[in-house]
Amino acid sequence: MRRLLTALIVIAIAASGWAQMSRSLSLDEVTVTARRPLKDIGVVKTTIDSAALRENIALSMADVLAFNSSIYVKSYGRGTESTVSFRGTSAGHTKVTWNGMSVNSPMLGMTDFSTIPSFLVDDAAVYHGSAGINTTGGGLGGLVALSTSPSVDTPPGLEAQYIQGAGSFKSFDEAARISWNSGRWQLSTRLVAASSANDFSYTNYDKKQNIYDETGNIIGSYHPRERNRNGAYRDLHVMQQAYYSAPGGNRLGIAAWWMSANRELPLLSTDYGNPSAVENRRREETLRAVASWDRVRSGLKTGVKAGVTHSWMAYDYARERVPGLMTPMTTSRSRLVTIFALADGEYSPTRNLYLTASVSLHQHLVNSRDRNVTTESGNTVTLGYKEARAEVGAAISAKWQINSVVAVSGVLREQAMGNNASPLIPALFVDALLPRPLNLTLKGSVSRNYRFPSLNDLYFMPGGNPDLRSESGFTYDLGAAWTRAGRRWALTAEAGWFDSYINDWIMWLPTPKGYFTPMNVKDVRAYGIELTANLIAKPFNDWTVDINGSCSWTPSINRGEKLTEADASQGHQLPYVPRRAAAVTGRLAHGRWGFIYKWNFYSRRYTMTTADLSTSGSLPPYFMSNIAIDYTLPCRRVDFQFKVAVNNLFNEKYMTVLSRPMPGINWEATVGIRFKSTNNE
Amino acid sequence: MGNEMKFFYIPILTILLCALMSGCMKWEVASEEEFDFSPRGLYILNEGNFQYGNASLSFYEPVTMEVTADVFSRANGMKLGDVAQSMTIEGATGWIAVNNSHVVFRIDLTTGRETGRIENLPSPREVCIISPAKAYVSQLWDNRIIIINPSTMAVTGEIEIPGMSATSGSTEQMIFSNGYVYCNCWSYQTDLLKIDAATDAVISRLNVGVQPQSIALDGNGRLWVLTDGGYAGNPIGNETPALVEVDPVTMTIIRRMEMGPSDTPRQLTLGPDGTTLYWINRDIYRMAVDDTTLPSTPFIPGRGTIYYGLTVDPVDGDVYVADAIDYQQPGMIYRYDARGVEIDRFRAGITPGAFAWKGATR
Repeated sequence: MRRLLTALIVIAIAASGWAQMSRSLSLDEVTVTARRPLKDIGVVKTTIDSAALRENIALSMADVLAFNSSIYVKSYGRGTESTVSFRGTSAGHTKVTWNGMSVNSPMLGMTDFSTIPSFLVDDAAVYHGSAGINTTGGGLGGLVALSTSPSVDTPPGLEAQYIQGAGSFKSFDEAARISWNSGRWQLSTRLVAASSANDFSYTNYDKKQNIYDETGNIIGSYHPRERNRNGAYRDLHVMQQAYYSAPGGNRLGIAAWWMSANRELPLLSTDYGNPSAVENRRREETLRAVASWDRVRSGLKTGVKAGVTHSWMAYDYARERVPGLMTPMTTSRSRLVTIFALADGEYSPTRNLYLTASVSLHQHLVNSRDRNVTTESGNTVTLGYKEARAEVGAAISAKWQINSVVAVSGVLREQAMGNNASPLIPALFVDALLPRPLNLTLKGSVSRNYRFPSLNDLYFMPGGNPDLRSESGFTYDLGAAWTRAGRRWALTAEAGWFDSYINDWIMWLPTPKGYFTPMNVKDVRAYGIELTANLIAKPFNDWTVDINGSCSWTPSINRGEKLTEADASQGHQLPYVPRRAAAVTGRLAHGRWGFIYKWNFYSRRYTMTTADLSTSGSLPPYFMSNIAIDYTLPCRRVDFQFKVAVNNLFNEKYMTVLSRPMPGINWEATVGIRFKSTNNE
Repeated sequence: MGNEMKFFYIPILTILLCALMSGCMKWEVASEEEFDFSPRGLYILNEGNFQYGNASLSFYEPVTMEVTADVFSRANGMKLGDVAQSMTIEGATGWIAVNNSHVVFRIDLTTGRETGRIENLPSPREVCIISPAKAYVSQLWDNRIIIINPSTMAVTGEIEIPGMSATSGSTEQMIFSNGYVYCNCWSYQTDLLKIDAATDAVISRLNVGVQPQSIALDGNGRLWVLTDGGYAGNPIGNETPALVEVDPVTMTIIRRMEMGPSDTPRQLTLGPDGTTLYWINRDIYRMAVDDTTLPSTPFIPGRGTIYYGLTVDPVDGDVYVADAIDYQQPGMIYRYDARGVEIDRFRAGITPGAFAWKGATR
């Protein structure tokens, strides 16, 4: 079946190519210009294509990053937590911003990308390693910067879009956007709704179903075919944006994003409980809003941002005591408020010099109630913590184009958390542009970085460890970017080597009292190679080919002291960090038709610190293939778009986390309608 | 065909290569193996990591010093589950309580093969065999002890613990003696229970201190309880851990020996003749049941790690100590003779926490 599908894809693509060969080759000319922005000197950055963000309304940013970058997406299943990490670091080492405001959970330190629909993101960029220092501190692996923006290339008028999708496992998705542009004013409202029973079936190789004789003896067994149990979800997102371009190079803007998620947490594949007798559910309501003022005038750009995040989160775990009566085991409620302020300035006194400065504040207020305990006297006591923490960051940088070949950039950053301040964080970036015929840009950087413990690390009850040290690291980068273009094609490629040292890595370990506590236990060296390439070509009239590829080789090795004399983890790859990862996305467009093939690969992920190859010690490598075909039917003011997507095309059995099965082949069909009414019509 | 055509076929070939590589993928399925374990040996239950489903069972033969890893999954072609809490042995049969898989497996001790199971248990901690037709299963986050028939592996009833909240209830280790079951209530609890095994009624409860972690019944018929004292901020209190001697007949405290405020004692167990107590408190301590004071020096000094499990060979008195190391790698088991001299060390699975002796009873 798998080979047949492969053959069909190849035949379909090849046949369409041969069919075109007999046609006239009167093609558009493709002009490629390259200019090195001073802002990105020496920076290793992956910009996510807007087509990838808009490809499918059902996609979260976790799905987009998995197929459009080499960073590792660790997913606990469809519609459940998905975190990303890169360069051999953990999810907490990936800093994430939305319109400049940190969206990492102050409690956990990480970001759940499954709750960020790509439909709500206009710009996404991944800054690898040191590159994130320009924007924020704490990203020992790097930074994922997400933002919304006004549509600068949209003509004045009204535009509306509505997309509806239905797919496997009773999945339904809806997305709508209405935007109005008067020239000075731009308003946009977006809505995304998703729901799914998410009850995909799979063969459970972790269990066996017994066959008994009349006397109760086991006479046979088999791996049962089961459904993903307790995995339904229902998400709703509403986003409002408003921008005003005032005279004198001023622009005011506000973006507000409200989300509500109600998600069951699927049972483990090793759970023998009755799924109908379990309530295992996470709920979240979060409002994020950022207001901004930017002013651009004669080489000086200044900006101020102010924002707020209010989040309410609930986790309930209960089991049925008797039919109809649930006994709560965990009733967790958390309320988080983050107040955000940012001021930055960019000044270019000469064409070759670019200076920046920024200062930011994140004031977190957390009230976490994790568990109710009833004492023998009948009193109910809640375990949890209530803490406030201010995080302040300030940075200055100078970027200097020394001559037509060499440019350097220096950054100094300072981070403070509460009463603790990090030492000064320096970063140095250099690049050299070797002109034709080489068309090569050489890049190098070195930086220091610090990450403060999360609030749970410090205060979780029980187990929080207020004596934790910050994690710290050094990162070195060396790379080269190459660009070449012809009349009908453009090819870019980038290769880079990095070497990171992270000290005082925080891990949660059990205590003799039975609960877990975080400790600084490991020193880690993560190094490796990252490669990316992009080819855009128009080989025939009305045909466009766009293929993006990335791959990475990232050993992430524990080089810390032995915890005990029996510790065998030294020199081994860290758990859940694949040594090799790769992703390819190919798009073929012809007239109104489009075809997308997405592929990614993760090598074996160990689940133990000793790189054990036993059944539970590692997860097999996997390749994932998704395809989609779309057709756009333009009418006078209305465009219709029809799309069919098939995920896990080869029906692979795979897990990204132990005991968390992932769905086999599945599909989704969407119908979209787009209405435009421009002022000049 | 123009030279530009290559920019059409390069992507096609790339996609073809990707698709072909996908055909190389293969899921790894555990197969079944035949085992024939010796009549006497030590089963080591490796708890695994919470929510990982990576618990496992190892078997160690003290005479040959051979260890067999992953016994359950290799014998049965499936995983043991999530958080294997305890193993109880009676004759040639073992019962394994897998806490977060909500299941109790019954296995043949010679082959490691499953012979039965009880599913959908709330949160099983330990199985206590009372008769061929009755056993108790203690629970965490529940105020009930589930009654089962260990022969048919069917639930036959339950015992609701009076005065215990269902939300934060806990029953832990159980000892059956002279018609009664003694059970310590550990998590957010303070009591020792006495249950009439004939009527399944809780007939007495004794406050022994904050969080009684483990219990043992000595050769003189006295019960010993080790409390861990809770932690700072614990809703039911935080006090000095203690070793408590209890008269099981009258359910009264005979004496209470307090440890240091920073001590973290756990895993109370007995030597072969039932007259020597052993426990973990960073180091390994032992004490004769007739001693009047706690030992001031350890029997086996620690290795700078948090020992997670402890057992004493009921035949020769050798002491086995489990080191979970970083809780994400196969733990190390150290074997000492009765004088405290190390005579062997071997690897078990992730977080070795419980032991059960095959073919030997005290």
